Amino acid sequence: MGIKVAQVADGTVDAGAKLAAQLGDPAVVVYFASPKHDPESLTAEIARFFPTAATFGCTTAGELVTGAMTKGAIVAMGFDKDVVSRAVVAIVDGIKDSTDGIDRTFSEWDRRLGRPMLELDPERWVGLVLVDGLSGAEERVMERIGDLTNVVFIGGSAGDDVAFKQTFVAADGRAASNAAVLALLECPNGFDVLKTQSFHATRQFLVPSKVDKAAREIIEFNGKPAAIAYAEALGVKPDQLADQFMAHPLGLMVGGEPFVRSPQQIVGQSVRFYCGVDEGVKLAVLDSTGIVEDTASALKQALDRNPGTKGLLNFNCILRTLELEAKGQTDAYGKVFAGIPTAGFSTYGEEYIGHINQTATMLLFR
Amino acid sequence: MAGQIKMMIDQIIEERSKGNALLVSTTQTKLILKGFDPVKYDASSPDDPAVIARLRQVAADLNVTL
Repeated sequence: MGIKVAQVADGTVDAGAKLAAQLGDPAVVVYFASPKHDPESLTAEIARFFPTAATFGCTTAGELVTGAMTKGAIVAMGFDKDVVSRAVVAIVDGIKDSTDGIDRTFSEWDRRLGRPMLELDPERWVGLVLVDGLSGAEERVMERIGDLTNVVFIGGSAGDDVAFKQTFVAADGRAASNAAVLALLECPNGFDVLKTQSFHATRQFLVPSKVDKAAREIIEFNGKPAAIAYAEALGVKPDQLADQFMAHPLGLMVGGEPFVRSPQQIVGQSVRFYCGVDEGVKLAVLDSTGIVEDTASALKQALDRNPGTKGLLNFNCILRTLELEAKGQTDAYGKVFAGIPTAGFSTYGEEYIGHINQTATMLLFR
Repeated sequence: MAGQIKMMIDQIIEERSKGNALLVSTTQTKLILKGFDPVKYDASSPDDPAVIARLRQVAADLNVTL
């Protein structure tokens, strides 16, 4: 009873059977798989080996499992009914063009659950969301979900081992791109959400005064070309700005905590980000701190708040993973999760109420 | 005239949260992510018609009748 974690390594054949041998007969299976494992055949195989379970997952840019970060693997978490007593899962297709599929999915769930999504108890129900990480649609997906329900949805954007060609989400035997998987879980013992990022806000602020929201580009900050104003705020020359991106992203401050907006590249004198930005919204310039130490501290506080936590899902930004790799800290980061059953992956973006970057969003199950 | 934006924001938060503290917080966060920081507006904030129109659309999206 409870939560079990499974892992199969790169090159494994019969992955479904090996996962089934480790997970037993759970009610729900969530998995994260390197794109080295064909997404379509893998989801069909997992559905076949767990015929009575709700199964869903996505491709990754690296995986996380209890005590370790991995590459090329499949990691999975199985939930028994004492932890997740009820689950409904759906793939929403065509998210680049429209979020109407979310409305249709929630209407269907209203009927299946016998209660409107807007009236579900947000302390008993939680949502998971896995999005095609190359869709550029995460902001609209998260905004529409938030419009339609008070249940918190948390998750990540699927990866493809940093190839940036195609990512997949999958559920109940079908894999898709240009899609999102939505899962609604009833947790009778409750749950908690941890959002952690390793930055503190400086006293410098930039206000986008001209944006191309669809392209996730800021054209001007404070009435100046964006790259010029950003470089001035950091005290560097414009041609040095891109080197500062990892350590100094911007943050939309909410209750003293940043919702991180990470710059991707300079386009002319504009700056393209990994998530959408609105005109007129004040953004703090952020300074980086230590990922391993900050995450360990945040996790300890979360576990102290939630004694008896049975396991957690970790959606960890690929930019954090790249920084950990550059600093030789992937083993240390994995060990932060040595004491708690963990499954997760390196994402192309994190979801928690909205779409964010350079963050780890985690869901703790009691 | 002043203060209408603050009243509209308070009404959206009230109707979506129904007094639940967790939902007050998440609704405030949703509004901030939509570009409306509740603390930016008070009873003396001018009734900017463009802001009011955008906020009416936000309320409709959130299924709140103002």
